[in-house]
Amino acid sequence: MIETAPKMLEISNLSKNYGQNHVLKDVNLTVRQGEVVCIIGPSGSGKSTFLRCINLLEQPTAGKIYYREKNVLDHSLNVSAYRQKVGMVFQGYYLFAFKNVIDNITMAPISLLKKSRAEAEEEALTLLTKVGLANKKLVYPASLSGGQKQRVAIARALAMHPDLLLFDEPTSALDPELVGEVLKVMKNLADEGMTMVVVTHEMSFAREVADRVIFMEGGYIVEQGKPTEIFENPQNERTQKFLARYLK
Amino acid sequence: MNLKWGDALHTLGPSLIQGVGVVLEATIISFLLANLIGLLVAICRLSKLKISRGIFVTLVEIIRGTPLLVQLFYIYYVIPLLLDGLFESLGMSNPNIQFSALAAGIAGLSINYGAYISEVFRSAILTIDRGQKESGLALGFSARQVLRKIVIPQALRNSIPVLGNYLVMMIKDTSLLAVISVSELLLRTQTYASQTFETIESYTILAVVYLILSLPLSHIMKLIEKKFHISN
Ligand SMILES: Nc1ncnc2c1ncn2[C@@H]1O[C@H](COP(=O)(O)OP(=O)(O)OP(=O)(O)O)[C@@H](O)[C@H]1O
Ligand SMILES: [Mg+2]
Repeated sequence: MIETAPKMLEISNLSKNYGQNHVLKDVNLTVRQGEVVCIIGPSGSGKSTFLRCINLLEQPTAGKIYYREKNVLDHSLNVSAYRQKVGMVFQGYYLFAFKNVIDNITMAPISLLKKSRAEAEEEALTLLTKVGLANKKLVYPASLSGGQKQRVAIARALAMHPDLLLFDEPTSALDPELVGEVLKVMKNLADEGMTMVVVTHEMSFAREVADRVIFMEGGYIVEQGKPTEIFENPQNERTQKFLARYLK
Repeated sequence: MNLKWGDALHTLGPSLIQGVGVVLEATIISFLLANLIGLLVAICRLSKLKISRGIFVTLVEIIRGTPLLVQLFYIYYVIPLLLDGLFESLGMSNPNIQFSALAAGIAGLSINYGAYISEVFRSAILTIDRGQKESGLALGFSARQVLRKIVIPQALRNSIPVLGNYLVMMIKDTSLLAVISVSELLLRTQTYASQTFETIESYTILAVVYLILSLPLSHIMKLIEKKFHISN
């Protein structure tokens, strides 16, 4: 079914250099609507850089990115409008420290989508309920646990009604006992049909939730396929080595 | 020693109360202007334009490299002469420009403190976590909106403790305005002491008045700082 869904993101021959450091080399990826793509790979393989190129937090050195058939690297593109459609959740949460939970969520909808405060707050409350934090709406980020912060960060991204959500190791900074609550929220999103690209080290999440798993190493996509293909029958020797270390 | 505390309090006291009014007026206006100048300079210094950065770096260096006392003389005595020359060369006869002493004093304090406060704001802006900016950008805010809505509000809040210290310092520095004849506390005291020779009484009273002005403020600042640490 997903194989015939419209293309959301089409990336071809993407590369990114930092001076002499070639971090991404000829990366190609198509993401279709409703698809969940998980990216795995060792540290320094370029996973974060790849996500950051997708929403233009980094400017790619070469290659093409099309979002719903529109050229994202065209200079006439309204970058802010594009980013409103492509949400991002970071490893470090980055909630706005000086605003309470509900204001964190309503800030962008009020000033960018021109929603009234009442409407934005009502929606924010619905989202908070969805991530299980309705009772924390007036609390400041400093007094939340890591897992709670990350769930608020997800609600904040959702408040912009994105088409696509990028996650960069959303659970890597969390204490082990808090990982589950965040993964559960992400799994619910996937079940609702959200299109997601998730960089993660949580192999069981990738296996269970992903439609496609991508293994990156040294700036290349080494191998990709269905979770069962990648985890049970990896073709490439480097994938096998990486998984052998992770799935012990 | 025959000290005339009663006389001094009776005559100098009311005059000093008026002086306190002048000090508060000078401090409040100068402090607001200094913050405004500081913020504008900080933003210009962070701009991508090399010229804008260069100009403001130089200005801040000039202000920080010369004493406030000299700046006050310069604004009060030199700048009117320069303006006279300018207007004469434009064909005006005998322009004879003069600033009121208080206005010159406020200008001097605002600019001098503005230069220092710009450094406070600049480093506060630079220390805001990169992630805060990136999460703003990722939500779809423009770089300018991120600066205005996310970076600057946090930088201002983080600057509050340091600004409090500058406020207390500024109250005390208004005594420098005496040299350009602003009737603030020091000038009033000097005048009284030289007329009556009640030197010990006059300057002791003066010191106490400054303490009464600055101690409660320092205390309030400490409370704010404490509250601030908790909310952070
Ligand atoms: N701004 C930058 N300037 C220079 N080099 C960078 C920059 N950002 C990343 N790199 C380099 O690019 C390479 C890939 O980094 P990246 O963060 O994309 O890896 P990653 O796969 O996300 O790793 P991790 O699992 O540790 O998060 C690294 O060698 C890193 O040092
Ligand atoms: Mg990374």
